[in-house]
Amino acid sequence: MESRLFQNLLSTLLLLLLLPFLLAMGSASLASQGRALLQWKASLQSQGLSLQSWKPSASPCNWTGVTCNVTRRGLRVITEIYLSNTSLVGTLDALNFSALPSLTNLNLSFNQLDGTIPPTIATLFKMSSLDLTSNQLTGKIPFEIGSMRRLQFLNLSENQISGSIPPSLANLSRLNYLLLYGNSLSGTIPEELGRLRNLVFLKLADNLLTGFIPPSLGNLTRLYKLALYDNKLSGTIPQELGNLASLVKLVISNNSLTGSIPSSLANLTMLSMLYLYNNNLTGTVPRSFDNLRNLTDVRLFNNSFSGSLPAFKNLVFLDLLGNNFSGYLPPELCSGGMLQHLVVSYNNFEGPTPRSLRNCSSLTRVRMERNQLSGNISESLGVYPYLNYIDLSFNQFSGNLSAKWGKCANITSLRISNNKITGKIPPEIGQLAQLRVLDLSSNFLVGEIPKNASMLVSLYQLNLSNNKLSGEVPKDIGKLSNLEILDLSKNNLSGRVPEKLGDCFKLRLLKLSSNNLNGNIPFQIGNPVNLLDLLDMSHNSLTGDIPSQISKLVILQDLNLSHNELSGLVPPSLRDMISLLSIDLSYNELEGPLPDSQFIRRSPIEWFAHNKGLCGEVQGLPPCHTFSTSKAGSAKHHKVVLLATVPVVGTLFLLFLFGGATFLLLRRRNNTVQDASQKMEGGAFSIWNFDGKDAYEDIIQSSPAKWQDSCCQKD
Amino acid sequence: MASRLHFVSFLLLLVVYPAISTNSEGEALHALRARLSDPTNVLQSWDPTLVNPCTWFHVTCDDRNRVIRLDLGNSNISGPLGPELGRLQHLQYLELYRNNFEGKIPEALGNLKSLISMDLYGNRFQGEIPKSFAKLKSLRFLRLNNNKLSGSIPRELATLSNLKVFDVSNNDLCGTIPVDGPFTNFPFQSFENNSRLNGPELQGLVPYDFGC
Repeated sequence: MESRLFQNLLSTLLLLLLLPFLLAMGSASLASQGRALLQWKASLQSQGLSLQSWKPSASPCNWTGVTCNVTRRGLRVITEIYLSNTSLVGTLDALNFSALPSLTNLNLSFNQLDGTIPPTIATLFKMSSLDLTSNQLTGKIPFEIGSMRRLQFLNLSENQISGSIPPSLANLSRLNYLLLYGNSLSGTIPEELGRLRNLVFLKLADNLLTGFIPPSLGNLTRLYKLALYDNKLSGTIPQELGNLASLVKLVISNNSLTGSIPSSLANLTMLSMLYLYNNNLTGTVPRSFDNLRNLTDVRLFNNSFSGSLPAFKNLVFLDLLGNNFSGYLPPELCSGGMLQHLVVSYNNFEGPTPRSLRNCSSLTRVRMERNQLSGNISESLGVYPYLNYIDLSFNQFSGNLSAKWGKCANITSLRISNNKITGKIPPEIGQLAQLRVLDLSSNFLVGEIPKNASMLVSLYQLNLSNNKLSGEVPKDIGKLSNLEILDLSKNNLSGRVPEKLGDCFKLRLLKLSSNNLNGNIPFQIGNPVNLLDLLDMSHNSLTGDIPSQISKLVILQDLNLSHNELSGLVPPSLRDMISLLSIDLSYNELEGPLPDSQFIRRSPIEWFAHNKGLCGEVQGLPPCHTFSTSKAGSAKHHKVVLLATVPVVGTLFLLFLFGGATFLLLRRRNNTVQDASQKMEGGAFSIWNFDGKDAYEDIIQSSPAKWQDSCCQKD
Repeated sequence: MASRLHFVSFLLLLVVYPAISTNSEGEALHALRARLSDPTNVLQSWDPTLVNPCTWFHVTCDDRNRVIRLDLGNSNISGPLGPELGRLQHLQYLELYRNNFEGKIPEALGNLKSLISMDLYGNRFQGEIPKSFAKLKSLRFLRLNNNKLSGSIPRELATLSNLKVFDVSNNDLCGTIPVDGPFTNFPFQSFENNSRLNGPELQGLVPYDFGC
């Protein structure tokens, strides 16, 4: 009996001693894990509908976003939590990480979690994938994360994390993905990161990182993508990066890097994407880049690169805008048949376009403007069914515009201005239903503007100025209802200004100057009431009056009708054009009073000079008077009248006397000489009917204006 | 259907955008586009992946790639303006006339310090004329006519000594019309068809916002 009591006491004591261990095992139990999660849920301000299933009454393994697994001991434990984009609002502070030792995957991305990343997260020692992307987390990256030895995927991107990147992350020897982009990380890139031999993706972009790119990054021989763009990195591109044998994507654009591209980068045989744009890089692109067969997307724009290009062949995307590149473009550039985006503008390239461009039907966007390229484009260019935008302006291209352009059905912008293009504009251009901008200005184009041009219904900008075009402005130009800018200046166009131009109600700039246009300005010119910037028809042979309807253009800022043969009065309604900043009516045949407005009164005389007889309250012009002329003028007037009339009156008086005497004589001899005298009488009476006095009155009362013009012409 | 398409394409643009565009003026215009409905695809060329908006149609830049003109008149566009337009510090011409823009005119437009011409006429703008417009010291043309604007004409606008044309006709403005500075030159047509606008302010006699 005694021994039994003793045995009971011993077992109870043993139980009591083992209790803490039992409890410890229990703390890793599913129930305690669930409790930790519920505690966290309770701390959140909002969870949307996603955590509705998180209830004590249900097993945590059935909760939304929770995945369980069975341990070797047969215990069920939580291994994964996936709550991406579930409207979580709150912090991580109440999440007791140490209560979840079995957790391997935690994804809380795309929520509105704020606060800091608790250092206790490091107790998740089994964690292999941690994703907190796109929240509002602040504070620093805890250095303790460096002790999470099993971590393979770490994504803290798109938060507001600050401070520097802890060098302890270098201890994460299994790490494949290190993604910290889109934060406010500062300081330098720790050179210790070069120890992460298993790294496949390193993305530190869009932060405030400074200092150099550590050469030790060249040790990351498994690296597929190195993205350091959008930072404030300086120094040169380390030549050690040439050791990154697996590298496919190198993106270090938008930094302050200097120096040149190390030739060792030609060893990156897998390299496909090379973005170095927006830096201060100099030097040439290594010729050995010829060997990079996998290179498809090269963006080097906005640097100070020079020299000529290597023989690129398989590119899909090439953007070199704004450098000092020279020499010829590689002839085999499109030999892979994949080139879509070709931008080489603002460089010093010369020679012809690459011969492989002729059959490069994959092209979608081409910009070559501002180089010294040459050659015959009717031969060197082909048909591009997917081409959306092309600008070849400011080069020395020659040849004609071929009819092939009509087959580029998707083209929205065609600019070849400031070249040496000759020949006619092909009527096939009218087929380009998507064309928004057509700029062929400053070339040597001849012939007429094709009638088909009126089919370009999407066109909003048409510039054909400074060519040798002849013929008329197409009469149905009014069909271009989207036209906003029309510049046909500096050509040899003839005929009239089409009335239908008034139908282009969206027109904001109209320039027809320096042509041979004749006839009247149609009154319909007042219809495009949105004419805002400029109406210029100067240097033509326009005649007739300025139509008063022009004053409907109340928002027009600049009006130039100078150097024409416009006559008549300036319409008084012009004073309604309240937006005018300048008006030029000089070198015409205009006369009469100028409209009276504050704007006109303050105008310089040059705007009205060289006309027939304008007057008005403008300094330099004579003031206007109606029937009363000036004293000097009227005295002269009277003098001229007297000089004219005195001899006439004198002659008439003498004739009167002579006629009267003849009449009396003839009456005495009426019978004998009747036949003969009748004839004579008829003659005498005809003189008699002339009333000299009335004629004098007529001359005195003739219109003063007529007189004034012939006497007071001014230069 | 169209709005769904618009939503999807906007979402696509959001996905592409973080990777490439860092031009803040392009971002501002892209943010503007995201709010708008554009049935005739006037803004189709506004590709946020391009490094700057200078090749976008209806956008004009100077030779340093800074936006100086925005010409979207008569384009059938509807939706609200946002404050992001105020970031275009070199903008000279803001032409949004004859569309279906709605909502308030953003205060932030007062930040457009280079602005010469602002044409918002022929839309459905409501709310007040922002007092911040008094900061637009280069402004010559301000046409807000034919909208649904209310409140009074901010008398601060009388400090805009370059203002040559001011048109607020056909709105729902109230109070009195300023009489000093450039306001001495504006004809009565600039203010007509505002049923509660009480005529020129009688300085010293009647409180300015009388009737508002």
